[in-house]
Amino acid sequence: MAIASSTPQSSASPAPARGQSVNARILRLAWRSPEMKVASALFFALCLLTLLGPFIIDASATKISVADKFLPPVFMEGGRLPYFLGTDQLGRDLLLRSLVGLRNAFLIGVVSVVLMFVLGCAIGIFSGYRGGWTDVILMRITDVQMSIPVIILAITILGMSRPNPFTIVAVLVLSGWPIYARVARSVTLAERQKEYVRAARIIGASDLRIMVRHIAPSILPPIAFVAVLDVARMMIFEAIFGFIGIGIQPPTPTFGTIISGGTQYLLNAWWITIVPGCLLALSLGSLNLIGGVLEKSRNLVLQGAA
Amino acid sequence: MAFALEFFLRRISQGVLIVLAVAFVIFTLLRIAPGDPIRIILGPMATPSAMEETAERLGLRDPIPMQFLRYLGDIAKGDFGNSFIRGKQGGTTGGSQDAAGSPPVERAPVIELIAKALPYTLLLAACGFLLACLVSIPLGIMAGVKNSGWPQKVALYLSSLLVSLPNVWVGIVLIYLLSARTGWLPAIGYQHIGYVIIPAIVVAVELAPVMIRSISVAVATNVQDPFYEIGQVRGLSARTMLFRHVLRNAAVPLLNSFGAQMIGMLLGGLFVVEYIFSFPGIGLLTINAVFQRDFPVIQTVAIFASTVLVFINIAVDFASTTIDRRLKF
Amino acid sequence: MAAELLLKVENLSISLGSGEAARTLISNVAFEVRPKSVLGIIGESGSGKTLLSRALVNWVRPPLRVTSGRVIYQGRDLLELPEADMARLRGREIAYIGANPTTALDPTMPVGHQIEEKLRTIEPDLPRREARQRVIDLLDAVRIPSARSRFDEYPFQFSGGMMQRAMIVDALISKPKLLVADNITQPLDVTVAAQILRLLRDLQRDFGTSIVFVSSSFGTIVEVADEVVVLDKGTIVEAQDTGSIQKNPVHPYTKELLAKVPRLWHDVGSVPETNAEPVVLSVRDVAKTYEVKDRASLFRKNRVQAVRGVSFDVRRGESLGLIGESGCGKSTLSRLLSSLESPDRGAIEVNGVDVATLRGDALLSMRRRFQLLLQDPYNSIPSHVSIGATIAEPLRIHRLATGQQLRERVCEVMREVGLPPDLYDALPVGLSAGQRQRVNIARAMVLEPSVLILDETLSALDQVEQAKLLDLFDSLQRKHGITYLYISHDLAMVRRACARIAVMYLGKIVEIGDNETIFDAPAHPYTRTLLSSVSTVEAKPFLPRDYLLEGEPPDPIHIPGGCSFRSRCPFVIDTCRTVEPTLSIKAGGTATACHLDVDRLPAPSILAKARIGAAPKRMDSL
Repeated sequence: MAIASSTPQSSASPAPARGQSVNARILRLAWRSPEMKVASALFFALCLLTLLGPFIIDASATKISVADKFLPPVFMEGGRLPYFLGTDQLGRDLLLRSLVGLRNAFLIGVVSVVLMFVLGCAIGIFSGYRGGWTDVILMRITDVQMSIPVIILAITILGMSRPNPFTIVAVLVLSGWPIYARVARSVTLAERQKEYVRAARIIGASDLRIMVRHIAPSILPPIAFVAVLDVARMMIFEAIFGFIGIGIQPPTPTFGTIISGGTQYLLNAWWITIVPGCLLALSLGSLNLIGGVLEKSRNLVLQGAA
Repeated sequence: MAFALEFFLRRISQGVLIVLAVAFVIFTLLRIAPGDPIRIILGPMATPSAMEETAERLGLRDPIPMQFLRYLGDIAKGDFGNSFIRGKQGGTTGGSQDAAGSPPVERAPVIELIAKALPYTLLLAACGFLLACLVSIPLGIMAGVKNSGWPQKVALYLSSLLVSLPNVWVGIVLIYLLSARTGWLPAIGYQHIGYVIIPAIVVAVELAPVMIRSISVAVATNVQDPFYEIGQVRGLSARTMLFRHVLRNAAVPLLNSFGAQMIGMLLGGLFVVEYIFSFPGIGLLTINAVFQRDFPVIQTVAIFASTVLVFINIAVDFASTTIDRRLKF
Repeated sequence: MAAELLLKVENLSISLGSGEAARTLISNVAFEVRPKSVLGIIGESGSGKTLLSRALVNWVRPPLRVTSGRVIYQGRDLLELPEADMARLRGREIAYIGANPTTALDPTMPVGHQIEEKLRTIEPDLPRREARQRVIDLLDAVRIPSARSRFDEYPFQFSGGMMQRAMIVDALISKPKLLVADNITQPLDVTVAAQILRLLRDLQRDFGTSIVFVSSSFGTIVEVADEVVVLDKGTIVEAQDTGSIQKNPVHPYTKELLAKVPRLWHDVGSVPETNAEPVVLSVRDVAKTYEVKDRASLFRKNRVQAVRGVSFDVRRGESLGLIGESGCGKSTLSRLLSSLESPDRGAIEVNGVDVATLRGDALLSMRRRFQLLLQDPYNSIPSHVSIGATIAEPLRIHRLATGQQLRERVCEVMREVGLPPDLYDALPVGLSAGQRQRVNIARAMVLEPSVLILDETLSALDQVEQAKLLDLFDSLQRKHGITYLYISHDLAMVRRACARIAVMYLGKIVEIGDNETIFDAPAHPYTRTLLSSVSTVEAKPFLPRDYLLEGEPPDPIHIPGGCSFRSRCPFVIDTCRTVEPTLSIKAGGTATACHLDVDRLPAPSILAKARIGAAPKRMDSL
């Protein structure tokens, strides 16, 4: 193709493009889109609020104060400072409760995604590279794992034991790793056929070295970009667990317990359930938008369109 | 057709093994979980000797593998066991009110409980899935065909928005807006078909973003394939190429993500949605069973769910190999 | 006389992008195509020839833009035509065939059905049965074996050559007036390409279609075209009829192109000579069979016999060339030689040690002495590691050097292969194919190997770069006494670089001998067929009409008994059907697996003997 073959020639001359790896190009392309900038700014602002909120706002997330119960948000009639988003049925500040919930949900999301990424990809690369019986057995294990829906697994384990952040992360990792293993394996299968793997074997590199030094660095970043989306997914699961009552237990506030606690007062004090949900949706939205743009730029760069 | 025969022989035997493994995992998990089932069956007032006697009779003191084998034997005879809690007439019986009274035999067989709940779940699943298809198929195709323009933007923003909404919250908001506040639609429980609308919307909101994304990606990938443009140069119309060839090719990754991701999601979504709306399906049955430590119900539902998942995946893989002959399984 | 013209291109310019950043790729191109004639357009890669051929069917998509000019087909400007009218011409009166037939059709539908679909779009009134019959008839006419059952087979079940035949059927089924053929023989093996060219010429005569034949090979163009247009960087520099452009090229670029066409018999200078050093690499009766799933039967596997007993020796400091077309088993042999897989039978001995028996450290130290260079310069080096670290990796693995010493050693090798040492910390992004291949060479050379296998190492590079690397290999060989094994499909490259040459067909060596004998007096009909199919601009000693039969190599699952070449051999005798020939010494000192006596084959054509014999040792200009 005329166009394709003329580009490498132009970049072969001492060009600024040198030293720009694929990952840097993906990030740069992503950053160029306005959605990315808006979403990152929003996410950064929420992080800042979560960190600084408890020091600035003169209210408490856990202290019960009957005098201040059912206060609406400040933008409504009857709302008053410092309760920006109002208070719940026990007079606790909703904004602070939401921020604590956000922090916990985010930590659980990040930790579980990192763990399932590491575990899943390690197993996937190993399985795909080794092939044969190793592959068959490992993949059948992922089949078994994937045949138990997350929610059923979660309610069975968390419902039966006493839920705490560790068991919640464990359940999420347990249900999430097979997808990473599958993806990493299928990419490794394709990668194993590539000439650089053969070249590495010819110079005498061991299997471990090829997996860790050659295959992993070239396949993991593209998978990692999409893992951002999973952080948001895990945060939703955390909220669902809280709602059913198998998440982090009270008095620590979580989105799930805030929302389910407010359902009884829906008609009179709708903001207790709806307003914290908006905050959650906002943070998830920013994460998803970041993930979506990264995914799109990754696909564009890998397909050679940009 | 030799290929199909071998495919099904191999995959179904593998599938049975997987279901057995899942059953064993769940079975063991439930046995080692804290909480003595005998105390649940007989209630807090039971004497230690009565408890021991019931445990002996139910075989709960045998080693777990033996219990599991016996359980499998019962399943082979079509007996999935009886609920610990629920009576034959419906309603919860376990606990103090009839402490030493009714023996476990009179409790409802699990299979009957499931048979009663399944139609509701299927109805909800079908409505939710249909609703999601209605939005995501046209939008996904439009967004996939062209790499720019409004369908692409709408698809990106809509799917980013929908995927950011936790289903529990969407459920409550819809109850508030469509039912509690306005009284347009019924929401809690089930009396007639109207009760399925709001829950179905919540299920669809969860499925739609994933479907939009996978459809648009699958279509976009195939539109970039040389055969799409070359087909038009060969004299076929863009329409023919899209509907006869691109969609056919896109079906393979779509079937795959349907089997691997969406069915699991749909199942999970159904559970949560049924719980929010007190919708009398399998999900509500299971969540209540967990809180009541009703082990036979939990394990049967888990086995059923994984069987469904395994066999849908076999069907999906078979469909993929029929469409694209290059695939091997 | 404009009325007689079928197609007239006027002042056509195409650019990439718009505004200031726009780059003109085609500028002011003009030419004419008369009815029932073949116009050849020749240009190197990057000359814009694919773009030009697409413009002829109005297939120019953003960011590419037609900035000026007209493409007049029978009085109508195609570029101005409404999309609906253009759609009525495309695939009906104007057909197009691209360079890559394997991706041209929907991979999930049988080939025949897709051609039938096209035919019924063009002629909606045609009954299904009749359409089907017409497709099958035409598939038969392009000599696709058992066309009726092939009709229901999928694109991936067709070989590249078969697929290109099917695309020709697809193009000609509507009896077009104009066919644009863009580089259609480029991905094919030489014998298949020669068959396709012959077929296209016959069909052009029968159907009276005009063809615009675009190619990057001068040898191919002169075989088919009546007139030739030379395209350089988007402009036409010369247009002449085929006969005179070969004899009297006017423009310097045309002369340059003609000079670049590799010669096999004329002006080749002297070729490398064999030596009598000890044998370093000895391959003894090596065989490898793969099992693949058979879809048509229960639990059965097909056995693909990729390599079926190959033996040869390579002496120290010698270069042996292993040539053959795709599917002949040379890539399997290369995998076996690099001991990434072990043969089912036979032995590969390096300095007398059987490689397959080695494990652990012994294997590692064998790998040090025995290196292999791969074809693809883009995929064979990691993109996220700096060039220096890539070249240093073998030293770390074999624990040969560390720290400053390691860096010095790497820089030394980089200088030796012609890479500036200041690239040490740079990433390979932006390196040209040639430079990347040098990184590969450096990575192998850093281990100071004694045997180097070059598996299609140079085939991704252009002529100039290829010549430079051949010189590099030459100097490395002289300096370090390295033994080379070239595995290639490129006859001209092997002619230049190898002292001895082995020809493979269907998993076996059919002929092995020194360079001169293989090219001037080969005794095996397959070697001669191969030589007759090469597209060159010189007179060939072996002509396609004597040697080239229709048909493709048998499929390696069902290899018929007797001689494996008998299905394509024009000189087949009764013995060939039953007895498989073994390698035996024939006249000229070559070993040939053929029952025939050399005298039974047609004598080499007289022109070849005019080769200038005693030329200087090696032409420095190359």
